[in-house]
Amino acid sequence: MSSNVSTSNGLQRLTAQLAPLLIVCAVVFALPVLLNNDFLLNKVARYLVLGILTISLGLSWGFGGILNLGQAMSFGLGSYAMAMALKLKTIPVHTGASGLPDFMVWNNVQQLPWFWVPFRSLPFAIAAGMIVPALVAAALGWFMFRGRVTGVYVSIITLATMVVINLVIIDQQSYTGGFNGITDLAQLEIFGVAFDAYGRATYYLVAGCVLLSLLVAFAFTRSRAGLIVQAIRDHESRVRYFGYDVALYQIFVFALSAAIAGLAGMLYTVVMEFASPTFLGVQLSLSVVVWCAVGGRQSLVGAFLGAVLVAGMQGALSESAAFLETWTLVMGALFVLVVLFLPKGLAGLAQVIWRWIVQRRHASGSVAQGVGQTEGST
Amino acid sequence: MTAHLDLHDVSVSFNGFKAINGLNMSVGKGELRCLIGPNGAGKTTALDIICGKVKPSGGTVTFAGTALQDLEEYEIARAGVGRKFQVPSVFRELAVSENLEVARARRTSVIGNLRWDIRNAGREHVERLAELVGLTEQLDRPAAYLSHGQTQWLEIGMLVAQDAELILMDEPTAGMTAQETRKTAELFARLKGKHTLIVVEHDMGFVKAIGDVISVMHMGQMLAEGTAAEVEAHPEVRRAYLGSGGISHA
Repeated sequence: MSSNVSTSNGLQRLTAQLAPLLIVCAVVFALPVLLNNDFLLNKVARYLVLGILTISLGLSWGFGGILNLGQAMSFGLGSYAMAMALKLKTIPVHTGASGLPDFMVWNNVQQLPWFWVPFRSLPFAIAAGMIVPALVAAALGWFMFRGRVTGVYVSIITLATMVVINLVIIDQQSYTGGFNGITDLAQLEIFGVAFDAYGRATYYLVAGCVLLSLLVAFAFTRSRAGLIVQAIRDHESRVRYFGYDVALYQIFVFALSAAIAGLAGMLYTVVMEFASPTFLGVQLSLSVVVWCAVGGRQSLVGAFLGAVLVAGMQGALSESAAFLETWTLVMGALFVLVVLFLPKGLAGLAQVIWRWIVQRRHASGSVAQGVGQTEGST
Repeated sequence: MTAHLDLHDVSVSFNGFKAINGLNMSVGKGELRCLIGPNGAGKTTALDIICGKVKPSGGTVTFAGTALQDLEEYEIARAGVGRKFQVPSVFRELAVSENLEVARARRTSVIGNLRWDIRNAGREHVERLAELVGLTEQLDRPAAYLSHGQTQWLEIGMLVAQDAELILMDEPTAGMTAQETRKTAELFARLKGKHTLIVVEHDMGFVKAIGDVISVMHMGQMLAEGTAAEVEAHPEVRRAYLGSGGISHA
């Protein structure tokens, strides 16, 4: 095969892999045109944010083989970073002349704590919302992966770490707002654009971040490093004996995943207009695992759609009178069914159907060259 | 000939059991050395020590002037040591071509590997490798779909892709048909000279076909070294294999 042919083959593969991603993003961007309801748009934006969170888990779980049960920790840290910055923007409107956020005044705090000070700068807060989760993940990953901790132990350690941080946040009420979280926030404002939670601007901000996260994650999985990370998932020690420092690759994908989760957390604060300890709670963290499994953990688009669909269903079921009591049962049953019958989730199902269609087209004589050969694993 | 790899007085024990006890072995550059011995002789453990999977409790392992015994596995691999495992170890969910790509570890740093191969520059090399190990047809299929023999071939191909100076093969022909074994012997003959090889094998026909010098291990020690005829005639070797029908049936 000449290199010219293989180049065009590579491009064809790339297009075939990118196509589902771009189609989904196009639908996301087009939705406000069809959906003329600000309340509903806010709700959809919320599901999209959870979709970004699930993409981040798909990256570490589906591609890296690292089942992080504490994915919501990174999400929560990002959420608090944004909330701290937006809270400081309310001074002095909501507070007295002392220049402190209202809950600190109620808790008799005299001076702004040192770690709050830099959050007066919005660019710092936005950077911190991704870098802090990434650094925490890298530090945790350093201990776990250097020590060759694998499998279920990684899940237990990540879950436990999240619970500890959650408890610290609840406990330190005077600095974190405790159980109530951080509420009564100012609106996010970037370059003169105000992001009202119920406005179109916020929706498009979220949609843009969906596209960005999908593209970044896709670019990583398509890179050589992404390939090596997948090889580590399949056979860790084999990779080691080719001369790769396996722990560094695991730390990298773990931190990248945390940074994307942090971005989702920041957006969640903008969409929900508060930050709460429940954002790094066990329930959300485990839900993400369910969404990811239902959508298909080895497909970025699948994980994203899994979150949007299932979280959307959760929302609809929990609000309908008929399923008010039983919706968790319905969700549990769905999870069990998917794990039993669709180990690759909805994305795997889509792949099977797609291949079947292509085969039928081939059989009936029409040419669908190239497309049928791709694995379609975006 | 100066030794390319030198094991000096190497010992290792598992919970008090001395799996390797004062092992000495030196292999010259470009040599193909066969390592044989009865079950439990410590052949696989000897390979484990060289590639860093097991840390020796005593002795030194020197490869091309570098002391290996205190290095991490990936550092030993970077020093030029490749290893094929007894149980075929490939990346089952990746395509055959991707398996070979990962094995071609020219760059090993994370940041250095954050690159796309849009032009598919490695493709030609991968295709040549696939041809070498007879997997051209399977190039784009996941490795999980390969037969046992093909999986063995894939791992051998991955070691060729890695292009290590020293290649350690643990029972490369296990589960292969007679024809596949013959092809493997041809491939090894081609690798010899350019690479230094240590092959652990049970199949004496294969060993005689490929090996110049045969090392016989027994009870964690080196028992004898020499050509096939020499070791077969060696009285201690005959005693070690006593009851198992002689060396040719081991």
